[in-house]
Formats: sequence, C-alpha cells, structure tokens
Amino acid sequence: MNKLFLLALAVVTPNAWAEPPAKIDVSQLPSQARMIDEVIVPVPSEVFGVLDKIGQPHWEEILRRSTGVVKPSGGAEQIALMLGSVIAEGFIAVESQTAEEVKKIGKSVLSLSEGIGVKKAVQRRSQSIIDAADEKDWKKVRRELDGALSDVKDAMIELRSEELSQLVSLGGWLRGTEALSTVVKKNFSKDGAELLHQPVLLDYFDKRVSTMNPRRQTPLVLKVRQGLLEIRQLIGTGEGGELSEKTVQEIEAIAGGLVKAINLKAN
Amino acid sequence: MKFTSVIAALLCVLLSTAPVHATIDDSLSFALEAADPYVKDGFTVREDYWGGDLPVKQTKAIVHQLFKGNEYWFWMGSDQKVAKISVHVYDSDGNLAEVEAWQKPHMAACRVVPKKTGSYYLMVEIEKSPDERTYWSLSYGFR
Repeated sequence: MNKLFLLALAVVTPNAWAEPPAKIDVSQLPSQARMIDEVIVPVPSEVFGVLDKIGQPHWEEILRRSTGVVKPSGGAEQIALMLGSVIAEGFIAVESQTAEEVKKIGKSVLSLSEGIGVKKAVQRRSQSIIDAADEKDWKKVRRELDGALSDVKDAMIELRSEELSQLVSLGGWLRGTEALSTVVKKNFSKDGAELLHQPVLLDYFDKRVSTMNPRRQTPLVLKVRQGLLEIRQLIGTGEGGELSEKTVQEIEAIAGGLVKAINLKAN
Repeated sequence: MKFTSVIAALLCVLLSTAPVHATIDDSLSFALEAADPYVKDGFTVREDYWGGDLPVKQTKAIVHQLFKGNEYWFWMGSDQKVAKISVHVYDSDGNLAEVEAWQKPHMAACRVVPKKTGSYYLMVEIEKSPDERTYWSLSYGFR
C-alpha cells in the first residue's frame, strides 16, 4: 500500500526529475558547453577554512607584520599585485587573531586601492574590517576581506581594468600559496599538501597573464608568470597527484620570492 | 527624422539591455532564496555569482577548484518561474561528485563533499522553459 502511494506520488509530483548521468566525458563536452574562460577562483576563506580543520598552525609565525600602512609603489600592475598580497596577509592576521595588524591591513587596503583608483569602492569594507577587528569578530573580518576582493574586482571591471583585477587575485593567490606551503611544510601531511594541488587555477592565471595587453606585461608581471609556470611544473599534470615535502618547499620558495618582488619598493 | 531614429535606436538599446541585468539579478535572488536555509546551518555564501542566459537543453560547464575538507552547496535560480533547471557537479574524471541534489520550480541545488582537492565541473542546464533563452544565476556556499 505504501509502495503504491509512493509510486503514485512520484507520478503526479511536478518536481520529479531525471537522474543526472553518473559519468560524463569531460574531454568531449560539446563546444557550446565548454567555458574554458569561466574558472571560479576560490576566495581565501575556502582554503583557510580547511587549514582550520586540519590542525592549529602557529599563524603568528607565518604572519608578516608590517611596520605601518602599506603605501602604493611602482605602476598600477605592481600596486594591484600588492593589494592582493595585503588582503591575503589580512587572512593570516585574522587566523593569528592580531587585531592591531588586521586594522593596519584594513588601512593598507584603502591606501593601495586609492593607488589604482578604486578607493571609493572599498572604503566601506576597509572600515568594516577595522570595526570588526576592534570587536574581535574574526568571522566577520574574513567575510569583509573576501568582500573587499569582490568589490575591487567589480570596481575595476567598471573602470575597464579587468586585467588589473586579475593581478589583485593573483597577488592574493601567491601570498596565500606561500603561507599555505609554510603551514604544510611545518607539519607535513598528505592531506595538507593536497591543498596545493591547483592545476586549473595555475592554468587560468597563466592564460590571463599571457593574454594581457603588452603594456601590462611589465618585468614584474613577466617574472610572476615565470614563477607560475615553475609551480605548474612542480604540481604536475594529473589530478589528485601527491606532492612531496620537497615539492612543497620548492613551491614555498617560488611563491615567497614572488611575494617579496611584488612588495619591493620601487625606486 | 534622423533625431527620431536616434531616439528610437537608444530606446531599443535601453529596452534590450535593462531587462538583462534585471533578470540575472532576479535569478540571483531565487538562488539566494534557495541558499537561505543553509546559511542558518553555517554555510558562508560567497558574494560573487555567475549567470547568463541559455536555450533549453544546452549545458554550460564552469570549472571550479574545490578543496577536500570543505563542504559545498551550489544553488541555481531562474527568474522564469515555470522553468525546470539543474546544477550538477562532476570531478575531473567525469564522475558525478555530488552527495545530494534537489530540484524545484526555477531553483536547483546540489551538495558536494570533495573526496580530493582539484578541479570540478559545474554543469548548469535549463531543462524546460517556455522562453527561447532563460536567465539563470549560480551562487555557492561552503563550510
């Protein structure tokens, strides 16, 4: 009786739906289904969330404390990369629950945004970051930092500077990757190392940088691209590949070198 | 005469572009409506969203890096209230990766708990709709 009732329900319910195929051939997607350019770059919170679950890294050892508010340096490309790396530093400051550093980062975000003409778009976020740090509402600080990235991107698209917005994402990814490698290296585990396995993002960033307007391809940007290619090679082509401790160290060194170059004061 | 042609052309442009934003935004509001109960369960909804318009039965693939250790919900919405839409997630080998999925009129969602860190394919589709092209929006959350 019950079975009959369920069968009848399945027939009449308007929401009944076909099961999706259990397997598809991703190399044979029809041309109209392919969206090579459409790659979702994860927000830093997604990575930091996993790290929280894996263990309790000593974030204060990884945090790179600034001596003051970071000022724009170099051309727009360098400032965009700096902005991304400062936002990523903000996440590390949140993890280490260092309110003073988070507040400094909030001000640095504003200062660097001004350098690339998007100050207005992030003004509210910057203030929210500072206020939430005062209240030690770390979850909110994380959310506002994620939001700052999103606001910068939207404002830059409005200013027709999408390429600069890609550099902001890239700067953040590099500092995040450096920090992630350091955390994984300090307490090596297969699960931790797997977080660095991001071939699709590396391919995406490489494609974005290599197709940038030549005037955006400054020596610094080209250096960053070279570093991306080196990391890509270390990660390998397969999915779910296992990364050794040595590979993690190499990734840390490359990403760290690039972050240093990005934050180098221009003469 | 020329002036009226220009005005007519401008009106055409305005009429053809304004609804595009409105409908993607409307679609997003339904995706977020679908997300609402999960926010209460501790999912952080990302502020960015993806969207566009699709003809019926045409699939669109979006590549996304997912991290093992996180749990994800993907929510899709459409402003076409009688549309039947779907979102499904496949891993890089093409295996269906979701652990749960649902479909309601003009909303759909699926949950993924990645078995490995790597690239995944989000497949969105308008299965049924009275419109030639149907607007959709996709949002996601994680915890």
